[in-house]
Amino acid sequence: MIKLAIYGKGGIGKSTCTSNLSAALAKLGKKVIQIGCDPKADSTVNLLHGDPVLPVMDYMRIHDEEPDRIEQISKIGYGSVVCIETGGPTPGLGCAGRGIITTFSLLEQLELFETVKPDAVLYDVLGDVVCGGFAAPIREGYAEKVLIVTSGEKMALYAANNINSAVKNFEDRSYAKVRGIIMNRRDVEGEEEKVGVFAKKAGLPVIADIPRSREIIKYEDMGMTCVEGDPECETSKRFLALAQLLIDEDNRG
Amino acid sequence: MKNVSRILPLYTADTSGVCSALYELGGMCVIHDASGCNSTYTTHDEPRWYDRRSQVFISALTELDAIMGNDERLISDCVSAAADLHPAFIALCGSPMPMMTGVDFDAIAAEIRGRSGIPTFGLHTNGTVSYVEGASQAFEAVVREFVRHVPKREGIGVNILGMTPLDFPLGSDGSVKSWLSANGMEQVCNLGMGSTLEDVKQMASARVNLVVSHTGRAAADYLRKYFDIPCICGVPAGKGFADSLASQLRAAAESSITDRAIIPEACLGDGDTVVIGESVYASSLCAALKADMGIDASLLCPLPADDRYYESTGGERVYAEEDLEAYLREKMPGTVIADPLYKYVIPEGTRHIELPHLAFSGRTWQRSIPDLINTDIKELFK
Repeated sequence: MIKLAIYGKGGIGKSTCTSNLSAALAKLGKKVIQIGCDPKADSTVNLLHGDPVLPVMDYMRIHDEEPDRIEQISKIGYGSVVCIETGGPTPGLGCAGRGIITTFSLLEQLELFETVKPDAVLYDVLGDVVCGGFAAPIREGYAEKVLIVTSGEKMALYAANNINSAVKNFEDRSYAKVRGIIMNRRDVEGEEEKVGVFAKKAGLPVIADIPRSREIIKYEDMGMTCVEGDPECETSKRFLALAQLLIDEDNRG
Repeated sequence: MKNVSRILPLYTADTSGVCSALYELGGMCVIHDASGCNSTYTTHDEPRWYDRRSQVFISALTELDAIMGNDERLISDCVSAAADLHPAFIALCGSPMPMMTGVDFDAIAAEIRGRSGIPTFGLHTNGTVSYVEGASQAFEAVVREFVRHVPKREGIGVNILGMTPLDFPLGSDGSVKSWLSANGMEQVCNLGMGSTLEDVKQMASARVNLVVSHTGRAAADYLRKYFDIPCICGVPAGKGFADSLASQLRAAAESSITDRAIIPEACLGDGDTVVIGESVYASSLCAALKADMGIDASLLCPLPADDRYYESTGGERVYAEEDLEAYLREKMPGTVIADPLYKYVIPEGTRHIELPHLAFSGRTWQRSIPDLINTDIKELFK
């Protein structure tokens, strides 16, 4: 099974990349679960034509009890991707990291993986690895590989470096390992070179190069991924190529 | 307000369940918690603490360590203590604060195991659920860690699973062993009381498991799945039910039925007597009351259990104080057998026979807890 966690600086395009990758994996015939791990709960919205799923934390807030069926906290999106959002507390209150852990143990109780039997699970995680809760997706039993999304912007690279260091801190534990970088271009001057320098220094490959494209914005305005809107465009082809690479790796074990 | 207890106490927490389950096995139990006092888990909940040593420690988690996620201090303290004390294993338990900060006990346990070479496991306790969950995890972890295939012993070897002082008075281990012996069977291991880790390592030589509380059920299910040992649930309470339980054990040992666990079913009806308590213990008492005194008793189990044990309360676990009160008010049973502290929710006109439960009322009535195993219960419940 492909088990991925996607990290990166806030606003760098993690949810865009994750949703397009989920859509690409689904288009290639895989059964996919995407779990948004961010209180904003907007990871999967472009797989759902703008009709968002009720986040797990919202369900618990509304009903004052845990859900007892997966359907209560999930929606089926493009390509039959099972979409789930952890959600979280009102900004400025509570503990968002704890919300992720609570959601994960709940999904375990509901036997999500045994029921859905996915070929791929993608965790789209808020920004940085800021606390134990935001490291939960890379713990044993969850993601096995981490993809870091970055552009050539200085602060994006800074965050990427922090994430890579955080994951390395867990080398003694059976946590996920960083598989590589998704370069999500912002058309910064010398972008390829800047990302390349970081990648070389970190010892990581750039496994996808996503061009800055109008298609992404166009289809997101329509509540869908680029892969769904125009699978033949260059951006979609890049996501499909990344999906195929991950499938091939998974097949090789 | 839902689930608020105004009158009734709560059953003791999962951390106490872990400490009780592992108390006699020679391991080191480390509770990752603030303070430095382990009396909640030992003196209050553990009658063995007064005359038998065990290694129960608190990590003394500080505010700064919690904020900074400084797992290293816990790891190095455990490794250092283990070097001095040479425990057979290390069990790490969580408490509310590590739950909030998301401490990964499995990963920490792996690091301690790697550095100390001592079997170490993380238990997912948080101090907010009952002892049943904690003891259950602890028993299962020990079985996973130490039970390996060994040849079957001659005759009918029996493992007892789920016996701790939280549910059974001291001396119950001797009673159950004598009962087995009187019925031509032999105890291999009593996982919670009266056995050592060496006995645990011989558990696969048994032909049948007897689960005496739900705390032993997960371990029994593991042994059923990986060692084909059948499982019977029940406490040999009274005389008649004790005899039929012995027959069931012998039959299970010979037939090797491993697809399901067998439970005392006499409790599932709608009797005029209600027994409140731990699922296996209280359902066995229901069966004993029927067998020895002709009393139709039904079970009210407020603790985690198999769903079947909730059949007599309409398929739902009744545990919140208001729900317990409402259930009893509506049912208006003639008699309720329950811990003395339940008297506050028992309706007027209903007789209350007190049966103290250490996991509920602590040491308050410890000396009055009767040993029901293979004994005449008529005087107790007349």
